[in-house]
Amino acid sequence: MPVPNGVQSAMSDVYSLDRIDVPDVPPDYEDDTRDQHYVPAPCQVACPIGTDAPSYIAYIWEEKYPEAFEAITATNPFSSICGRVCDAPCEPACRRAQADGPILIRNLKRFVMDKVGHRYDPPPFAVTREESVAIVGAGPAGLTAAHELSQAGFKVEVHEMSDRPGGMMVWGIPAFRLPPGIIQEDIDRLTKRCPGLTIRYNSALGRDVSLAALKERHDAVLLTIGAWWGKPMGIPGEEDPRVVDGVGWLREINGGARPEMPETVVVVGGGDVAMDACRAALRLPGCKTVKVVYRRGPEEIPARKIELEGAIEEGIEFVYNTLQTAVVPAGNGIALKCLRTEAGEPDPEDGRRRPVAVEGSEHLIECGLVIAAVGQTAICEELEGLGMMRPDRVAAEFDSMRTTDPEVFAAGDGAFGGSTIVMAMHHGQRAAYYVQAFLDGREDPVPYRTPYRTRRVPVAQDLMWERFPQQHPPFHGVGETPVEFPEIESTYDDETAKAEAARCYRCDAETGSADYAVHHREDIFSMARTNPIDQRKNRAMLERRLEQRPDPFPAGRPATFDDLVFLPANLSRLVIDPYREACRVDVALGGRLDLERPFFVTGFDAEAAEVRAAVAAGLAESACGYIGRRPIGAGVEWLQLVTPDGEAPSAEAAALLYPLGPEGALPSAQRMSSDQLLGYVVVDPEQLAAAVPAALEAGHDMLLLDGSGDIAGRWPELAGPPDLTLLREAIATLRRLGREEEIDLIWFGGARSGTDAAKAIAMGCVAVAYGVPAGMAAGGEMVEGPDGVSLAFSSSFSDEDRRHAIVNLLKAHAGEASMMARCTGKTNLQNLEPEDMRAITLASAEATGIVLTGRH
Amino acid sequence: MAQIDLAQTSVREANERIRALGEAGEDIEVLNPDAKHHIGVGLVVPEGADVTLRVRGSAGYFCGGLSDGARIEVERNVGWGLGDNVYNGTLVVGGNAGAIPGVAIRGAEIVIKGNMGSRAGQVMKAGTLCCLGNANFMAGYMMYGGRIIILGDSGERVGEDMTHGDIYVAGKVQSLGSDAVMGDIAGEELDDIRAFLERHEIPFTGTFQKVVNAGKRLRYATSERQMRSIPFMSFSGASDYWNPKVQEDLYIKSQIGRYRVRGYGGARELPHTADLAFRSAIDPERIDPEVVSRVAMATEIGGLNGANPLKLSMPVMIAPMSYGALSASTKQAIGMASTLSGIAENTGEGGMSDAQRGAAKQLIFQMLGGRLGWNIHDMRRADGLEIYISQGAKPGFGGQLMAKKVTKELARIRGIPEGIDLRSPSRHPDILGADDLVIKVEELREATGYRLPVSVKLGAGRVRDDIKIATKDGFDFIELDGMQGSTGAGSAEVAEYVGIPTIAAIVEAIDALEEIGRRQDIQIVLMGGLRDGIDAVKALCLGADAVAFGTSAIIAGGCIACMQCHVGQCVTGIATQDPEHEQRYKPSLEAQNIHRFLESVRWQIAAITAALGHDDVRKLSRADLVALTPETAAITRLPLEPERRDGSETIAMTAG
Repeated sequence: MPVPNGVQSAMSDVYSLDRIDVPDVPPDYEDDTRDQHYVPAPCQVACPIGTDAPSYIAYIWEEKYPEAFEAITATNPFSSICGRVCDAPCEPACRRAQADGPILIRNLKRFVMDKVGHRYDPPPFAVTREESVAIVGAGPAGLTAAHELSQAGFKVEVHEMSDRPGGMMVWGIPAFRLPPGIIQEDIDRLTKRCPGLTIRYNSALGRDVSLAALKERHDAVLLTIGAWWGKPMGIPGEEDPRVVDGVGWLREINGGARPEMPETVVVVGGGDVAMDACRAALRLPGCKTVKVVYRRGPEEIPARKIELEGAIEEGIEFVYNTLQTAVVPAGNGIALKCLRTEAGEPDPEDGRRRPVAVEGSEHLIECGLVIAAVGQTAICEELEGLGMMRPDRVAAEFDSMRTTDPEVFAAGDGAFGGSTIVMAMHHGQRAAYYVQAFLDGREDPVPYRTPYRTRRVPVAQDLMWERFPQQHPPFHGVGETPVEFPEIESTYDDETAKAEAARCYRCDAETGSADYAVHHREDIFSMARTNPIDQRKNRAMLERRLEQRPDPFPAGRPATFDDLVFLPANLSRLVIDPYREACRVDVALGGRLDLERPFFVTGFDAEAAEVRAAVAAGLAESACGYIGRRPIGAGVEWLQLVTPDGEAPSAEAAALLYPLGPEGALPSAQRMSSDQLLGYVVVDPEQLAAAVPAALEAGHDMLLLDGSGDIAGRWPELAGPPDLTLLREAIATLRRLGREEEIDLIWFGGARSGTDAAKAIAMGCVAVAYGVPAGMAAGGEMVEGPDGVSLAFSSSFSDEDRRHAIVNLLKAHAGEASMMARCTGKTNLQNLEPEDMRAITLASAEATGIVLTGRH
Repeated sequence: MAQIDLAQTSVREANERIRALGEAGEDIEVLNPDAKHHIGVGLVVPEGADVTLRVRGSAGYFCGGLSDGARIEVERNVGWGLGDNVYNGTLVVGGNAGAIPGVAIRGAEIVIKGNMGSRAGQVMKAGTLCCLGNANFMAGYMMYGGRIIILGDSGERVGEDMTHGDIYVAGKVQSLGSDAVMGDIAGEELDDIRAFLERHEIPFTGTFQKVVNAGKRLRYATSERQMRSIPFMSFSGASDYWNPKVQEDLYIKSQIGRYRVRGYGGARELPHTADLAFRSAIDPERIDPEVVSRVAMATEIGGLNGANPLKLSMPVMIAPMSYGALSASTKQAIGMASTLSGIAENTGEGGMSDAQRGAAKQLIFQMLGGRLGWNIHDMRRADGLEIYISQGAKPGFGGQLMAKKVTKELARIRGIPEGIDLRSPSRHPDILGADDLVIKVEELREATGYRLPVSVKLGAGRVRDDIKIATKDGFDFIELDGMQGSTGAGSAEVAEYVGIPTIAAIVEAIDALEEIGRRQDIQIVLMGGLRDGIDAVKALCLGADAVAFGTSAIIAGGCIACMQCHVGQCVTGIATQDPEHEQRYKPSLEAQNIHRFLESVRWQIAAITAALGHDDVRKLSRADLVALTPETAAITRLPLEPERRDGSETIAMTAG
């Protein structure tokens, strides 16, 4: 559970028990944590509102900006603002932070919002509920709750004491970090999206409207009053008018004031308010030096690193390990009286070491103005009168967001202390959930958990992803006219955004390894971050690991080449070094047709002439024959498929292959010249009983086993896996006849690699025909057509590309096939035997007759 | 001069004395009327001392093997493997030498006055091998450096697949080996040869031809386009036949014209211990908080034949992974974690670094066919020895290390040239069958005084046969690696389709040992896709004596399983030798993470063992398991009880 306030350590949270024993998400929330192939990434878990950062980062790489926008804004009504000023707890949680720096996620968000944020308006939420909710305060917590409740169909009325919406986002953050136009973009989007939302400005609780009235007019009230007032330093002399509180002072500046500054300004504090105050002061007329006085060291300063670095770069001076003790007059100005400090014992609450004053280290820091930014507090007389404050914030329970009044809820800084915009948004979402549960009459709702979604975007295929360093947008500092508060840095351009997006590890995405699937990898990560004596985590992890995976080989899954493995040579046989020792792959088909490699290509009969010509060039170069109804080109041995509707048998063909007729009718197969090879094409195991003896009797040279069922058709293999029983039965039939060596078997159907070919050869074939693999190599892409899936040849491949690809494919597949042979200890591919393999599934053992692994 | 008569003394005893005398700087004469093997094996002479070992008569296999600094003279002939892996020193043979003289030498001078057998100087790294007579075929086979001087004829295929170094032939060059060419000889080279000949009092005035490597096969011509992994479910289980992975493979192969290379092991779903369940229901809530101290887990591995066993605090060790595949920082972190958790670490191929030795309290030293980084000094400081025959991810292949990872430092430790695409030999030069292996195991025992356990690493294939051979060869334990075992770089097709699943491997291994009635004579450490304490207990139930974790330890130490290890630019600094990338890795931080992972494994092993009603991991048995799928039931012959699948929670199968 995220801590309600203060600085949180993202890493420890990310690997909390919740990651092992994932709590249920409340009903009706979209959440993907039950997806077997998804684990929310550390950045997403560290984000209080569960932003699906990995998906939008991946969309940026794909240049799909509207999709990125959707992923960003789905849980975040202030996405444009967050793109500039979010505290970005995602970044320290990023796994790449430990390597060469986190993905700069906030910059990427800013890029998307700047690019398309003004263009897209998500559809409005309809008002579907009778009840209405009043919200006090139009800051990030209040407006996020308003957004959520509007989405749930409620009417919402927001009372804002100032004249504009945004709360601390508007009044607390100077324009050089967050220009007003950006705020307006989010507000416009929000108001367009929420037609049932009314915001009443200049309507302060206790001054313009009472809690009783709100309760009277609405069904529930949510107090998001903020922590608007600076805490005093509690030191003598601070009542001097030249000592101001940070938030109050920033409010004036952000309201448009540009007061003349003394030459030296001292800011006390080390948080974000201090950073904004010191940088604002530096930009105002008259100011030459700004010093930040902080009681701890540079390691402990809570300001966000990027703000701190910005301040340092702009020339702000940091005075660390210094504790203010008084404000005293000095010359024309004042001086901050200080002591030096040293790190003491760790604070039991946050683990940071307490500063301990060094005796006798008193010194003065002279200046003209002290801005105290040492914390904020909520003040509301009305609530105080009702006994609802404790005392500097609204008394509320984080587990229910309820106050002491059953109809009144509270959230945000005003209830749980000063925090970040994104945490305030989380409060708003949380509060909206509990308010809705109350209005639905659910007494004891499931505890709220931030939902995590994924948009399942493929991992960016960027060659440089491991090497790109962090991409930093240009930093401008105070700019040429500081007093106008120009923006401190630029937004990424398309190229840098893409490079930064490429760096993402994609911790959320499924891996390429079944054994180290994303869930398992994350479990190992969690084990590596579990204290050995933490019984609860150990137990939860055991419970998790005892969950079973689904059967990867469910009944009905077809037998395929994939489920056969080769047995490597070890001690029982000598391995043939696949890197350097020879293994023959040539074969003489029918004893006469010499093949350098035991491969044919088929399937291009109906393709365009230029595709055929380019493939033919590749085949000619590879000395690889073509099986088809018509020849593919000069210089390529043609094995003619003699179909009833095709060309007449040709004397030019190296072989004539006659498909069996309907119901296995044996066609009359004749050689057109004496040295021609001859054979049948068989598609059905049941036809073998007749076809095999007939072929043997007729002195055929070969039998083409067509596991696809339709070799003369258009890319028939795309229909699915081949029927391997055809091969098993062909061998069995020959074996029964005792004539295995008398006819050569050629396999066609679903051979995708040299390995598949080696398997067909090990089972008893002498050669293999490639259809779809050659088609894909030559640039064919799978397309859904009226007659099913087929290949379409894109024009992005040149003739040369196609030729080159065919040559390479055949070479690579010969290499793979011979590698299999060598691993099993063979120096000739044709020496592979069924005994060199094992099946890993029962279905494939059955279909192929290969022994199941583990058995003998 | 001390004298030892091998007619009276056993070789083991003789070698003990030879080593002691060598240490003391004394000369030794050995009478060897029966040409016994392993004379002088492991003889290490202190720096500066001068020790001569004179062998009267002939010597058998591996004479002077694994020695450093001595002068060894053999009066007559020697058997094969003369001077195996000698570091420094001089070996002079009066007669002929058998096959592979000077195999894997790293700096010695060897003079053979007669003829020499085939594959002389195979995988030698440095030094000089000189033969006054003729060489048999394939002299200089796969040599990485140094020189061979042949005063007679070269034999067939001289310089076959040599990587580096020079072969000088005074007689006829009968035929050149693959990737070998004739080279030019510079004047200084000749002077240096003449100086060598004079030093060894070899009168010779003739001329030489030189054979060198042509360099055509040291690097792949085109590099494979790097692709990040496709989610496994899209090409696994019941995926489409022409799935995106098939399409990607076809595309890449049609660009490069060869097989694809990647890291990790079998990536698809395979029959796995994941498809087995425990026979008794395990209720994590009822686990005794003190369970770790209540279950006996300490395990000794390797002591069955009298060697000092590895003492494991639980039946777990680290799988062999090399410095090379992994960065030095990673090896250091793993070593530290192994020490913290009281288990053993393994060098993998490619030698032992000081940092690694310092970090790991118990360290197994692995020896491969290329003999990369293998030497007597590191053997002596190891806690166990391991002969690599093959590995689960790429059985049949030697290590594969892309040029990017073959840095200066790595090349130094391995004794090879920098910047080559290193493809280690698939076989040991001196292990061509089970009988050779017996002699090899003896050599290793002789070299280390029978102090260290000697194991064999086997990728699972014909396990039933291989295990029987390994047992008969006298190994202390077997590291059996199923096809789910990972690698830093290997052929993707081999990772996927060669070898059998780990679960089948252990079943076959136990069956084989029971068939020959020798289950008690050897121990089995199972590995390959075992990931946590649950997998470990299942492996123990099936009969393993211990398990080893490789990939899961790496993941515990920050690996993100992107499977791009082969590229050499590991984003986390693990599988890289690039200093900029390596500095991303924080060894002490990751050592703690790996240690916590191992402790979590320990807790799981204890918890499950106790929940199954045992107080000792040695009491786990097949009776504690059932099979959940027809495949695993058929493979393991465990009862099929699919209803024991935890069906309470349906997990959405959503393709990403």
